[in-house]
Amino acid sequence: MKLTRRSFGGLAIGTAAATLVNRNAWAADPIKIGAVNPYSGAMAQYGDEVTKCYELAAKVVNEKGGLLGRQVEIVRGSATSPQEAIAAVEQLVGRDKVDMLTGCYVSAISNAASEAALNYGKLFWETNALAISLTDRGLPNFARSGPSSNEFALRSVQAVLELIAPSIKKTAPDITVWIEHEDSSYGTSIKDEQVRLLKEKGVKYSVGSHSAKAIDVTDSILRAKDAKPDVWISTAYVPDTNLLLRAARDQGFKPSAIVLVGVGDTPETLSALGKEYLEGVLLVSYPRPDINPKYGPGASGFLDLYRKSYNRDPIAPQGLTAFVGLKMLFDAINAAKSIEFEAIIAGAKTLDKPVGSYETGYGVKFDKNMQNTRALPVVAQWQGGAVKAVFPPEALSEGVKVVNLPRQS
Amino acid sequence: MTALLNILAIGLLLGGIYALVSLGLNLIFGVIRIVNFAQGEFVMLGMYGALSASLAMGMDPYLSPVVVMPAMFILGCIVYRFILRPLQGEPMMQIFATFGLLMVIENGILGLTGGIGQNVSSFISSVSVRIGPIQIGLPRILVLVLASVATAALWWCLRYTLRGKAIRAVAQDRKAARLMGIDVEQIFMLSFGLGAAFAGLAGCLLAPLYTLSPQIGMNFIMPAFAVVVLGGLGSVPGAFVGGIIVGLTEALSGFYLDPALKHAVLFMVFIIVLVLRPAGLFGVSGAEEVGLREQS
Repeated sequence: MKLTRRSFGGLAIGTAAATLVNRNAWAADPIKIGAVNPYSGAMAQYGDEVTKCYELAAKVVNEKGGLLGRQVEIVRGSATSPQEAIAAVEQLVGRDKVDMLTGCYVSAISNAASEAALNYGKLFWETNALAISLTDRGLPNFARSGPSSNEFALRSVQAVLELIAPSIKKTAPDITVWIEHEDSSYGTSIKDEQVRLLKEKGVKYSVGSHSAKAIDVTDSILRAKDAKPDVWISTAYVPDTNLLLRAARDQGFKPSAIVLVGVGDTPETLSALGKEYLEGVLLVSYPRPDINPKYGPGASGFLDLYRKSYNRDPIAPQGLTAFVGLKMLFDAINAAKSIEFEAIIAGAKTLDKPVGSYETGYGVKFDKNMQNTRALPVVAQWQGGAVKAVFPPEALSEGVKVVNLPRQS
Repeated sequence: MTALLNILAIGLLLGGIYALVSLGLNLIFGVIRIVNFAQGEFVMLGMYGALSASLAMGMDPYLSPVVVMPAMFILGCIVYRFILRPLQGEPMMQIFATFGLLMVIENGILGLTGGIGQNVSSFISSVSVRIGPIQIGLPRILVLVLASVATAALWWCLRYTLRGKAIRAVAQDRKAARLMGIDVEQIFMLSFGLGAAFAGLAGCLLAPLYTLSPQIGMNFIMPAFAVVVLGGLGSVPGAFVGGIIVGLTEALSGFYLDPALKHAVLFMVFIIVLVLRPAGLFGVSGAEEVGLREQS
């Protein structure tokens, strides 16, 4: 195209007009929250699920008039590794001009993204990643609204002492526990806390580990079988959890109780083992939308909203925790009356709501490392091919009771 | 004593899995001298083939090799013809190409499945049998039996059929084979196709044992390389015996030492064997160098 004086003039006027329009739009700019999660790769479906629930939380707050008089917008930044997490933060802050960041389904991604966010002076509000090291770093821009790996370990030990021991008529000194864990930092950090808590309570325990990529885990099962534990607790990923359970079934390993930490509550495990074998298997899991409405007020409302928005049921319980996590962030922003990270962290420190305040049954009270101390997972159980919350007692829905404990098959 | 017998049985059965996975890898390396990094992905494709046959036709995974093996054979021939053959004479580039293929297949399946774990079940999936004091799953026994049958069949074909003799001739000296009138390119394509078909067979037989994911092939490939090198590069019985050795080493060290140490012990044995017998237990002396020698 030939550039003439007339066309150049038109271009200049057009550019000036566009700038004016943009300036007017800035006045009503939304609060932009960058959501760092894996949207491709092996964990894409869970990353997407978590962010879908952030979007639901934004939708709810926007329908009520927004936050500090502004609408809330979720902007996605995809990261499947720590390196990509840094690039995603740079893109979200540099190109998309987000005001703060949230995430994340994977601890390693959260670790890198939150440090990158600090370089830009942005808040990183963690809703789902579990590693205890994330809050132990004491980053000034970091807070975690959901449970950490320590809370999952705590619930598994509570399940042993308060749920399983009475059912099998044993007490702390007599009950024996086998702790099986995959050998990366995820499984090891939960195992370390379980060991600390069991030792404190005087419970006899043994520990076994395996690689999540192992072709065969029968040796791990045979070691556990040899120890004849009352309770077998496993912290692993989905494929190796299924492999362990298959090996246990083939080897006739039948402890009185099986407790799976963090996984084992999805259709992948149901189709691998079948509902007959899984009947009574206990799960330390994020609270689900079907918990007792008195324990998690509004959980059924979340389920209705999710179904209406996405025409399906939630694919993983992490979504509800993400939804609640963002609601806590909104509470912190309202308390801060600012979107600067120092003010939001200060605002979050003032939050003090009792357990049972949110849809997950969580309350909110941050400790000095900005870990929410009132976010606890629940113990659920496979019952007839469905997962039902069975502990703490307040989380039980009407008509639900513990089944097949001690395990009969 | 019962524990020892039990763990020996488990090691033997695990060895069957490794032998099965290594069979195709060894054939491809032995004949074409390509270290096929995508072999684990071929096994994964075989698993998804069994899943597809089960979903589309209600076919039991143990019957699915009937459709999966021919499909994988054709895929192997296409991969060789259009990716590896143009790189003939560039052995390093061929290795990089198989690595690229690994990424393409893995991410392709990831895109198709969304990364959701899948399971394939057979009517014998949950059957375990008791032999004296030992209890083992029937699917694993089946893998060992069929791995033995597949090894024996391949060995017999290579030894007694005309095509098999041509494959061995090309493996020994491709120049001399060409001078004897053997279509070397066709034999390469046949060998790669067969290697892929055996990976497909492994995938079908292993599918009921695992939760399928696009990354599962990577879990098999590292021990499979150890099996191939231990048993002897290009040796069919070597792949079988190597598989059994690796299986037993893993099971015994996992049970008596620590499961976390089993790979350390395995690769310690691997290094010792390499130092004492560089060609592997059943390999021909000097075979380990052939892959580095330029052949056209």
